[in-house]
Formats: sequence, C-alpha cells, structure tokens
Amino acid sequence: MNGALLAIALARGAPVIVVGSAKNVGKTVAFNALRAAADERGIAYGLTSIGRDGEPADALDGRDKPRVRIPPGSIVALPEELVPRSPALEILELGERSALGRMVFARARLAITCEIGGPPSARAVRATIDRLRALCAGAVFVDGAIDRVAALAGGADAIVVATGGASGATVERVAEIAGDLVARLQTPAYDPQRDGPAPLRIAGALDARLAEALLAGEPQTVVVADPTRIALRGRLFARLARHVAVRCERALHVVACTTSPDGPGGGLDPVALVRAVARATGLPTFDVLAGLRA
Amino acid sequence: MIADAFTAERIGAAWLRAALTPVSDFGRRAEDAATAAGPLDAASARERCAAIVRLAAALDPDGAGRARVALRTVPDPLAIVSRARAGDPLGDVDFYELGRFADALDAVAHAWVQAGGAADELPVASAVGTVLAPGRSGAGFYLADAFDPVLADARTTMAEADTRVERERTRLAEAIAEELGFVPAAEEFVIVREQHAGPLPHGVRVVRETPAYRLCTLERDMPALLAETERDGERRLLAAEEERVRRELADAIAREREAIVAAVARLGELDCALARVALVHRFGGCVPTFADDAFVLTEATFAPLAEALAGEGRTYTPLSIDLRGTAVLTGPNMGGKSAALALCGFVALCVAAGVPPPARAVTLPPIRRVAWIGGGDVDRVRLLSAFAAEVVRARDALAAPEFPALVLVDEYARTTGPREGRALLIALVEALAARAHTSAFVATHFDGVAEAARVAHLWVSGVAPAALDGIAAGDLSDALGALASAMDYRIVPAGPDVAAGSDAIALARILGLPAALVARASVIYER
Repeated sequence: MNGALLAIALARGAPVIVVGSAKNVGKTVAFNALRAAADERGIAYGLTSIGRDGEPADALDGRDKPRVRIPPGSIVALPEELVPRSPALEILELGERSALGRMVFARARLAITCEIGGPPSARAVRATIDRLRALCAGAVFVDGAIDRVAALAGGADAIVVATGGASGATVERVAEIAGDLVARLQTPAYDPQRDGPAPLRIAGALDARLAEALLAGEPQTVVVADPTRIALRGRLFARLARHVAVRCERALHVVACTTSPDGPGGGLDPVALVRAVARATGLPTFDVLAGLRA
Repeated sequence: MIADAFTAERIGAAWLRAALTPVSDFGRRAEDAATAAGPLDAASARERCAAIVRLAAALDPDGAGRARVALRTVPDPLAIVSRARAGDPLGDVDFYELGRFADALDAVAHAWVQAGGAADELPVASAVGTVLAPGRSGAGFYLADAFDPVLADARTTMAEADTRVERERTRLAEAIAEELGFVPAAEEFVIVREQHAGPLPHGVRVVRETPAYRLCTLERDMPALLAETERDGERRLLAAEEERVRRELADAIAREREAIVAAVARLGELDCALARVALVHRFGGCVPTFADDAFVLTEATFAPLAEALAGEGRTYTPLSIDLRGTAVLTGPNMGGKSAALALCGFVALCVAAGVPPPARAVTLPPIRRVAWIGGGDVDRVRLLSAFAAEVVRARDALAAPEFPALVLVDEYARTTGPREGRALLIALVEALAARAHTSAFVATHFDGVAEAARVAHLWVSGVAPAALDGIAAGDLSDALGALASAMDYRIVPAGPDVAAGSDAIALARILGLPAALVARASVIYER
C-alpha cells in the first residue's frame, strides 16, 4: 500500500515534500513510510527537513517523535552542528549557513539514526533541495512544514499532506480542514490565456478584509504570489473562490494525503477517515499504518 | 600617505581602494596589515612597484584574472588549524574544509602557472593534502578505513555484530509471524487494532498505544539481548576509534601549522599583488623614480576618470606634467585643469600604496601628505561657506609640518571678489613656493598669478578659437563629445604670449545658453 503512495509521490520525478495540516497528524510517520517503501524497492534517496526535525521528542509538546534512520547510501542535508560523529558520514559538500552552522551534504556509509534539520531561508530551502537532488540522482524526501512551503512554490515538487485526528475532533471536521487546506494549496497558476490579461495582483496576504471587499465587487481574477498567501479559511475562502477566480504566480502541486486517526480526544474510525479525506480533497489518500487507501 | 577625506575623494582614493580590494580574506588581511603599517618609504615603494611591473609583464591578463577567481574560492583554514593546535577535537566537516583548502591551493597554483607565473612564488601546504589523502577520493571527505587498520577492524567487527543482531531479530520476527499474519520487518511495527483485536502474541512488546494502533517492538530474549549488548559495545569501540583517528589527524594538521600559516600569508600577498597587476594591465604602470625637487609625470592616466570616460565611450588623454616646486596651471574651462591636479594626487597615492603609477614614467618626491584646497562646496559639517572652507583648508595646509607634501589648489578664492581673490591666491602661491619639501600645483582663471608669484606657469593647450566656433550647440552629450574631440588637453609651459581667457563665452554657447544671451556677453566682454 505504501508502495502506491510512493509511486504517486514520485510520479512527477521531483522532490517529495511531506507537510502536516496540524501538529501530531502523522507527518513524520508518512515521511518514514515513504522512505521505507523506497528502501524496500532499493531506491536511493536524499533527505532533509524544512526546519529542525528528527529530535527524540517534539520541541513544543515533548511527545515522542519517530527518529530519522538513514540507511547506508542515502544522502542527507543537515546543519553542521547536527552531523553525528559516529558512525562517520562522508562529507560531500557544504551549503548555506543556518542557525546550527552550515548545511552539510553527506552520505551515510553505515546505517545511522540522527536528528536532521533544515536550511535557514526560503532561498536556502530551494537551493538545498535542488543540490540534494543533483547529488543523489534519485528521490528526495523532505520533512516539510506548512508555514515554510512557500519556498517551494513554483517548483515541480510533489507535496503530500498529512492530516489526522489531531486537527479535528470528528471525521467530518478533519476532512473539512484537509479539504480546505488542499483547496488553498492547489490554487492554480495564473494563465493569461485562460484568466484574462489584467488580473488584480495582491502583493501581500489575501485576508478576510480583502476577501470582503472582493466579494462586494465584480467577479474578476485575483492573483497572489503563492498559495500560502491565502490567509482565508473555510467557507469564506469557498465563497470567494466562487465569486472571483483566485490564482497564484507560483503554484504548488499536492499529489496525495495521508491520515492518522489518533487525536487528543481518542481515535477516529480509520476507514471512515481515509475515505472522508479522499472525498474532501479529491486526492488519493492513505493510512500508511493501517495500509488503507481511498 | 596622509590625505584628509576631502582630498582623498578628490584624488580618487576611494576608487583606488576599491580597485585594490582583494578577493580573498587572506588578501584583505594582508591589505589591512599593510595599511596599519603606514605608507611605504621611497625604497620600498620603488621595490614594490618594480615587483608588480615585473609580475604584470610576466602574467597573461586573462590568466591573472583566472588566478584571482581561483583565489576567491580558497577557504580559510586558520580557525581550524588554531583549534587543532589548541588540542580541540576536529570534526569531519573540518577535515573536509582542509581538503578544500588543499584543492583550492592546487587550483590557484594551476591558474598561476597557466598565467605565466613562476612556480617558486606559490604558497605550499602539500602536507595537508597528503595527511587527508586516504579520506579523499573526490572533493569530499570520509574518515575512511584506509586511515588506520584498527579503524577498519572496528568497522568490520561492528558490521558483524550488526549482522548478528539482525539475525536474532529475524529469528524473533519469524517466530511470531504466523500468529501476527505478517513478518515484522522494521525495528518498530504497527498492529492495527481492527486487525488484531485480541491479545498480542508472546514476544511482542507495546511501545505506544493509540485507539487505532499499537506501536510495537519485538520482545528480546537472552540471545537477542546479548547480540544487542555486544553490538552496542562494538558501536562504542567504533566511536572511540573514529575519535582516535580524528585526533591523530588533527595532531598531524597542527604540526603543519607553520606551513599553513605561511601559505595563507603568501596567498594574501598574491591576492594583493594580483589586484595591482590587474590595474597595470588595464592602465599601464611604471616604476617611479624619486627626486626631492621634481614632480614629473610622463603620459600619466587618472584612472578613475579614464574608466568613467570609457564607460561613456570616450577616451582619456594621458597627460605629461613637469612640476618643479610650485606651478600655476591656467587654461580654458573644461580643459581638464582639476583632473590634472587630481592626477598628481592619484599618482602620489599609487606610489605610496606600492601601486605602479599608471604612466610611462614618473619622478616624484617621497610624498607623505597630499592636501587639496579649493574647488569645494559649503562645508556643512563645520557650517562654513565655500570661501571660508577653502581658507581654513589653506590655513591648515600651511600649518602642517614641512615634510614632503603635495598641495593641490583648485581655483582658490573664486567665490570672492576677483581683485581680493587674486591677491589672496598670489599670496598663497608665494607661501607655498617658500615652503621646503612642498610641491604645489595651482589651477586658476585669475590672470598673472604665476608671474606675480614668480613661479612656473603651465597651460592647458585647449581648443583653437576656430575649432570652438565650429562646434554646434545642441544635444548636450553630442556637444561634450565634440568638445572633447577638439580639446587639446596637453599641459605645456605657458609662453609670454599665451592667450588669456577661459573660452567661457564660447563654451557657454556650445553648452546651450540662449544665443542672445551669449551674444550680449560677447559685446560686454569686448568693451
């Protein structure tokens, strides 16, 4: 089953970025499931993180987090301070400077479990991922973060959205949140042929105040820099999207979702959840632990 | 070289500083050290200029450019070497950087030799490359087995221990596979409650539970625990071996400290020298000759102006100036008088910095101070009018110690009444001429200053009146181009019959002043 998720993620021939719709929705589980599927198929890969990751416990809530195990032959991009001393990695290159030192591109000669972290800026995120791809000549998996995914806009990267019971108390609510997020992330790129020659370009965020003003006006095409500039949620965005054509300069490509039924209030029905999220997002959806697909 | 900010700006100091900016940190350190050491004495300046001229002649300009590019990429190893020297542990990233340093030195050497440089002038730190060679199959670095057989053994032993652990894990997994319905493949595995509602098989330990899943691991029996304990021990041994090899490498690097420091210093010298060579390749350069009583330039170029003109498709005319003691320079407006003054200051600046002055030949005193008086604007810092500012600058120049100085006076007292202004200027020229060790070059439009002060009178050849009349007023850029083409910028001794005047009215016409106004001015002038 996870092989199917891997196939969808790699179909674009581009780096795969896993982002979560909220905290503790199984993002790292999905990330590791993709890597495990690649391991099973003997696919060499590179990996990095947008932001710090791989710590034994979550930096915010202290909950245990899955460690990042790097198999031999994989290439990892991580800050200098996180480079483990044993077993030694093969240092290939140095990249951008981050708060934890320069980014280091390294190959694992022996299996190693370690903390990985990400580059400091949007530009560095892009540069790191591109360099990683060039170095490993195979798949690239990025443990992403929804608030830093703007750095990837305009690229060919395949985005997998992890969602789950931690983002809503019911199956319906989790699915609604996932659908809303995916709808925004999938905002189409502006095309003058299709959308007309003189759109309203919005320099900053498309927020509620601006949305109200647009709803009061004539239908038109509105262009934001990238989907993360849409600071609208739920029905307001849906209303706006029906009234005006919302487009972006640099699009993102969401290819699949994953679900985790666990949440602070207990567990949701895994089968119902995976189906509901698939319906709400229109994307292939997987529960990588239960082996479910919808 | 002492020059206040106003003077420095006038004589192109910022331009020269930018042109001499090294491309590497080593070069910047060398340049900073040279600046801190103060101006070169005459012998050192001559020696330095001679070395640069020789180097410029030996090096191919494109190749020298490539050598500078190679220099730019050399990482600085000193911090790492200092840490190694202090006994601090080095990491693999440090060894990678040292490897890059060794590679970059090779690249600089290659570019240098390709450019025509002598191999014996190159920095050498080949031992660094030799020390790190076992870990470097390409540009990267790995703490490879080849560094030490004991390290290789530790890795082999750990791999064997890993295999034993994996064998034990497989044994345990297969033992519960039938009951579970699958073979747990990973260290941790998930059992979905829906699929396994009942009790878990013996040998499965729950790590974390959720309403939907149980995250499990295999319960280790004694053989498995022993294998893991042994593997963990081997891991620690491997870690210790890796640290030991790193320590030995760091010690070996520390022993090369002197060679590395010397190589880095040499890189800095090369960087600074190549910046000077680049200037010589662009503008030419000569070895200056020192003489106390002459400031003589032959076909010298004020490089900042030459560069600016080239940017506009225009050509700079190199100037020859024979300045002995104090001289007055007159000539038409826009004839390059101020630029001639600036050229003298620029040449003095170059020589003090060990830069071959851009000229065919230069003879000058060992100038230690340059002062520019006049030609300025209101001094907003000290709230002085233009006149007050230049008077204060003249006062300061005269009060300065009489060590070898170059005083450049640009249209002093032009902002006051012409009679009093001329008197002030003549008095200033007399005072400058009376000073020991002072070369002074005084540009003015006042008549008879040189004769009154009994100093040399030089003259910008200018434009023949007929040529001026032939230039049409119109587009400013075209007019300036035509004027520049017609202008003879050469500076020659003014004969007794030298024409007075500044061609100001004719130039005003060319620059587009209304024709009626120009005609009226001519009438008034002829009266």
